[in-house]
Amino acid sequence: MVRRLAVLLALLLLAACTGGGDGDGTPAASATQDVSGVIVVASGRDVTGKNGVRQQLIDAWNLREQRAGSQFRARLVELPGSADEQRSQLLGALQSRSARYDVVNLDVTWVPEFASAGLIGELPGDLVDGDVIPSVAETARWDGKVYAAPFNSDVGLLYYRRDYLERADVERPDLRPGLTWDGLRDLVETVEARPAQGSYSKGWTTQLAAYEGRTVNAVEAFASVVEDFALVDGDGHYTGTVEELTDGIAELRRRTETAYTLQNAVHSDEAASLSDFAEGRTAFLRHWPYVYPTLYRTFTQEQLGVVPMPGRAVLGGQNLAVSRESTRPGKAAELIRFLTGRQSERCLLDAGFAATRVSAYGDGVRCPTAADAPSPSPTGEGADRVPRDEGGRPAYARTILLPALRNAVHRPRTPLYGAFTQTFTAQLGPLLGDDPPGNEALAARLDEALRKALPD
Amino acid sequence: MISLDPRGLVNRALLVGVSEYDFTEPPHGVPGDLPSVKRNLNRMREALAGGQVFGERDVKVLPSPSLAEFGQALQRSAREAEGLLLVYFAGHGAIPSGGDELFLQMRDAKVIAGRHTVFHGAEKFSDLLATMLATSPAQRIVVVLDCCFAGNAAPVWEHFDDKRRVLLLMSVQANHRIDAGDARTPTPFTAALAALLDEDRDTTLSDLADRLRGRMTALGLRTLRDDPWEPQLRTDLGVDVLLRSKATEDGGGNPVLPVPVPVPPPPGPGPVLRSFRALLSAPLAPLRGVCATLIGRFRTIVVPHPPRRAVVRVVLPAVLAAGLLGLGVYGLLRHAGYVGDAPACDPPLELRVLTDPDLEPTIRAAADAYLTSDENTTGDGCRRTGATVYSAGSSDVVGALRGQTGAWQEPPDEDVNPQRDIGPQPDIWIPASRAEVDRVEDGQDTDAVAGLEADEEPLAYSPVVLAVPQNIASEALEDRTGLSLGEMVGDLTARDENAAVRRPDPEFTDMGLLATVGLYGEDGRAVARGERLVAQPGSPSPTAAELLCTLPDDDAVDNSTAALVPEFLLRSGVGCDLTTRSPRLAQYPDDVPGVEPTFVRVMWRGGHRDAPARDASAERFRDWLAGERGGGQVFARYGFRSADDQKLLDEEHVAEGVLREPTPLDESAGRDAMARTLDAYQEAGGPGRVLFLLDSSGSMTRLWKGPSGGPGLLRQSLGGLGGQDEYGVWAVAGTGDDPAYGALLPLGPHTRAEAERAVDTGARVRDAEADPHAALLAALDEMRDRGDDRRPQLIVHLTDGEDNNRLTGDRLDDVLTAARTSGVPVTVVSLQSGGCDRDRPDRRIADASDGRCLDADDDLGAALHDEVARTGTGEG
Repeated sequence: MVRRLAVLLALLLLAACTGGGDGDGTPAASATQDVSGVIVVASGRDVTGKNGVRQQLIDAWNLREQRAGSQFRARLVELPGSADEQRSQLLGALQSRSARYDVVNLDVTWVPEFASAGLIGELPGDLVDGDVIPSVAETARWDGKVYAAPFNSDVGLLYYRRDYLERADVERPDLRPGLTWDGLRDLVETVEARPAQGSYSKGWTTQLAAYEGRTVNAVEAFASVVEDFALVDGDGHYTGTVEELTDGIAELRRRTETAYTLQNAVHSDEAASLSDFAEGRTAFLRHWPYVYPTLYRTFTQEQLGVVPMPGRAVLGGQNLAVSRESTRPGKAAELIRFLTGRQSERCLLDAGFAATRVSAYGDGVRCPTAADAPSPSPTGEGADRVPRDEGGRPAYARTILLPALRNAVHRPRTPLYGAFTQTFTAQLGPLLGDDPPGNEALAARLDEALRKALPD
Repeated sequence: MISLDPRGLVNRALLVGVSEYDFTEPPHGVPGDLPSVKRNLNRMREALAGGQVFGERDVKVLPSPSLAEFGQALQRSAREAEGLLLVYFAGHGAIPSGGDELFLQMRDAKVIAGRHTVFHGAEKFSDLLATMLATSPAQRIVVVLDCCFAGNAAPVWEHFDDKRRVLLLMSVQANHRIDAGDARTPTPFTAALAALLDEDRDTTLSDLADRLRGRMTALGLRTLRDDPWEPQLRTDLGVDVLLRSKATEDGGGNPVLPVPVPVPPPPGPGPVLRSFRALLSAPLAPLRGVCATLIGRFRTIVVPHPPRRAVVRVVLPAVLAAGLLGLGVYGLLRHAGYVGDAPACDPPLELRVLTDPDLEPTIRAAADAYLTSDENTTGDGCRRTGATVYSAGSSDVVGALRGQTGAWQEPPDEDVNPQRDIGPQPDIWIPASRAEVDRVEDGQDTDAVAGLEADEEPLAYSPVVLAVPQNIASEALEDRTGLSLGEMVGDLTARDENAAVRRPDPEFTDMGLLATVGLYGEDGRAVARGERLVAQPGSPSPTAAELLCTLPDDDAVDNSTAALVPEFLLRSGVGCDLTTRSPRLAQYPDDVPGVEPTFVRVMWRGGHRDAPARDASAERFRDWLAGERGGGQVFARYGFRSADDQKLLDEEHVAEGVLREPTPLDESAGRDAMARTLDAYQEAGGPGRVLFLLDSSGSMTRLWKGPSGGPGLLRQSLGGLGGQDEYGVWAVAGTGDDPAYGALLPLGPHTRAEAERAVDTGARVRDAEADPHAALLAALDEMRDRGDDRRPQLIVHLTDGEDNNRLTGDRLDDVLTAARTSGVPVTVVSLQSGGCDRDRPDRRIADASDGRCLDADDDLGAALHDEVARTGTGEG
């Protein structure tokens, strides 16, 4: 293991030093002003076990610095698992200085808030160059400036049970991009006519519990029927209308009809919905890319497929930013340049994250881990079950994931996102309850509440 | 009388910044709030406190005071100062239509326009000077004004006869208004001032003023009349004072990095016009007549020097609006300039609120209600404060606040990280009993970096009751009150010999610890008997709420088991998956202390960047929580009683099984009783024994590194074990002739360092498959052989489940049978998502042995630590 890691680090190091042209090795000029020492990187806990690749990238950077005789090192500090707690700690600590962080890993929806509050500093614009997927690059900017660099992206995807469709004699059980919601409902009805044995219960499941997942699902429904749906303008001012909210609510109601939706979805978060799908209770699941490797540990390629969400899907992910309090902002920006460079993004993609750079999905860049390091075990123990393309990427990366990312929509970009999502989630609750109000009545209430949460 | 070096004298600085105003609407309000001023206070406090003239305690910060509050604070500081008295003001400044006077507008400022405009809630500058000169023995009085028209203070100063010891620094020349700048940064003047004060050199006021002028000129800053912006200084000839001193060689000073001065961005025309229209709408019309003379005056000032086209469109009408009232423009620019590219509201200050797991739903509901309350909303409709409520195991929290605050602030390594394992560093802690605060303070490290300030009075009250299933309960009042817990349990088992009692985990929730105080009886002597009363298979429920939800899993258990839970849960403890629960009657033992949620402010060393604002936010939330109309209503809805008279807060909707006025109830929990009870509880079963099985087969390669990997999770859980516990680690890899496991650490007592070293140096992924069947059977055998000493035991199996193909059919049955009969719980940590789904082998083994199954959908590090800590004797 140690030997293998050393090989990996050496390869990354070599690549970083000779990579030329991908920007990984160019130190920021301002780094000379920095106070040398440890760059503290605060990032949410990753219970899926993938922190390995993030840690390895940081190890590689540290080794590079060490070889260069630099006194700078980076250290990862993990935050709590809950995103709400991560945000609270990052905000509270940066506002008050109760803890010191140089680099913070922010959910994409937090960037306007942290930038607007003056908690993170502006970064060199070339950190987010033309290689970054355009929709993803937008998450890095606020007020016309670059405040963060996309580290890993995320987008809603539709996972499905190929074997269920086959059993129901669906003509083409291998679904293609371009599936519509009507098409999905037809498929569910077909499966229902010849339901799978065992635990199968309903057509699809998703995350509708009263947390961020409900906001995500609702925005996907709203954005699918309202053209250029945004709810806010470029400055974060509320621009919603009762009419568009009415249309959005009608679509969300349609999507969550009990005839098609697992009852448990209303109480489900990511883990609960994944578990229901993994246990065979539904034929379809809306989820994020990070469960792709997990699901292939449960299902075979004959059982499982994935396509872009019908309609629009929400963009997620995390971006790296430099705290305004950092005494080593130049070097911190250099670290970010390394962690979000082409090579690193390719490593992240191979490890199961959605890469933020187009080049990671192409053939020009490889990650030493996947391509050149020895295979994990000659006995085949722990063989990688993730289907991969000829370049070693997860098989769906180029054909499904990248197009989905390109077509993804943002949640409202506002410095008051916390108030927005809390209001949005709470106000949509009655739609999923026992006695849902009418579309227009609910839209009027939602509009009023959002106006209060996002005052002009 | 020349330059004074005030070091070593009694010096005072009073920093007043009015960023929020009560009245911002026409006709009498000021032009608006001043968010950037909020930032001034923190910045100035840092700059002054770093300069050796003022100690941290010498600097008093007063955010947005009313005129009355300002007056009191001014007198206090003035009286105390003997060397240097520095008074700094930032906010709206206003001048009357004639005469040389300047009004410093406080939070409650109002302007009544008329022939003689009246400025309510504003300090007349001449009064300020008179007060200071009359009350202060200080040798030097420095006044710094950062507001519109600041220079208009100069003629006032000139007229004072005894002005010699007063030195006056003004942000701008007379009759000029200035831009407050970007809401995210201090105002331009204060930013420049503080940056110069940060420089590590000897700095006198006159030197500072010189450099300040140079700096502002270099930055090209201009007033709203587009004149160069020139700060002003007034002193008697030769009078000066040292404001900061160069740090000595031994590091006596705080070197501070120079902070760049923000230059206000140019206003964008679109939003500006929109904001302006809103501003100039109807309410100003009635004033036009009375202020007509002023319009001409300002027009002559503004028109000749239109700075930029965009600004002409903005500033001209804006200044006219301001001129009508003779007011400064700080507020206007917030609407007209800076906010052109951002929403009207700043992101609010975030409060981190930590509470007991059983209080979390109540406190969260309270915080949600507070966030949208009028008390938390400014005149602009913005939220003043954001808040996030979270909880963590109560004894972990106490342990961390006692002995790990340093690690909480700066986690030293991946194994010790309270930020990850407990949660955010709290600004507010609401434990279920004041005794928890005393426990922290009693044993806190001398170098702790977090300080606590606890309220004397709790926010609410709820007794801990014995909730007895109705079918085996007695409704007689004499059975339900006036007895000890021991007597009540005795009566219960006399009525039904199969009756049992359960309580939640005393280490995880204060509800369990309070119940245990009663269980152990007077003086805490009846430990063994108390534990026998609540003995149960497997681990206790982590929280009281979960206990009430777990009991209905088995109707027979639900109908025969009484639960020690807080009374409020009989009203609010719904929300379990299973809705059919045995109805329960509350009995009120007279020797179990009740739940008393207590508000505690937590302050972190170094975390004073926004201290005044954070203090004010926390205090506002506290006042709301403690108020009848705010928190009182939420506590009522959740079934609590008043902390004053122990009456139900909602007497109309009394939950079934609850008595309106049960008496007598036990008094508050004491620190010693809580600490003694917890110690006794942890020692009740004696030290524990834990055997870790660490899957080291080849498939673990990708789940090996970092804190989320197998060895990392194992290391983190070692904190739950003490020196008296026995534990060991087996590496599991090998099949057939190859041994299925090898000892990395033999079963026995170890120091943590020793154990970590063994894992660090010994744990390796092997190029082999694993045989969990053989390893688990061997582990169960080993523990059974050692089990005669009745220590609590636990087997922890960390695995990715890759080799569960060896755990099928008869082999699985073997393991299940052994697990069921061994009496040793097996906790399986499955590193794959869904590894604990129903019918998975890992889940079945855990269930058969009364252990727990944790998978990648759980917060593995924290959950495993809690599991191990329940068996071991370590605290936190």
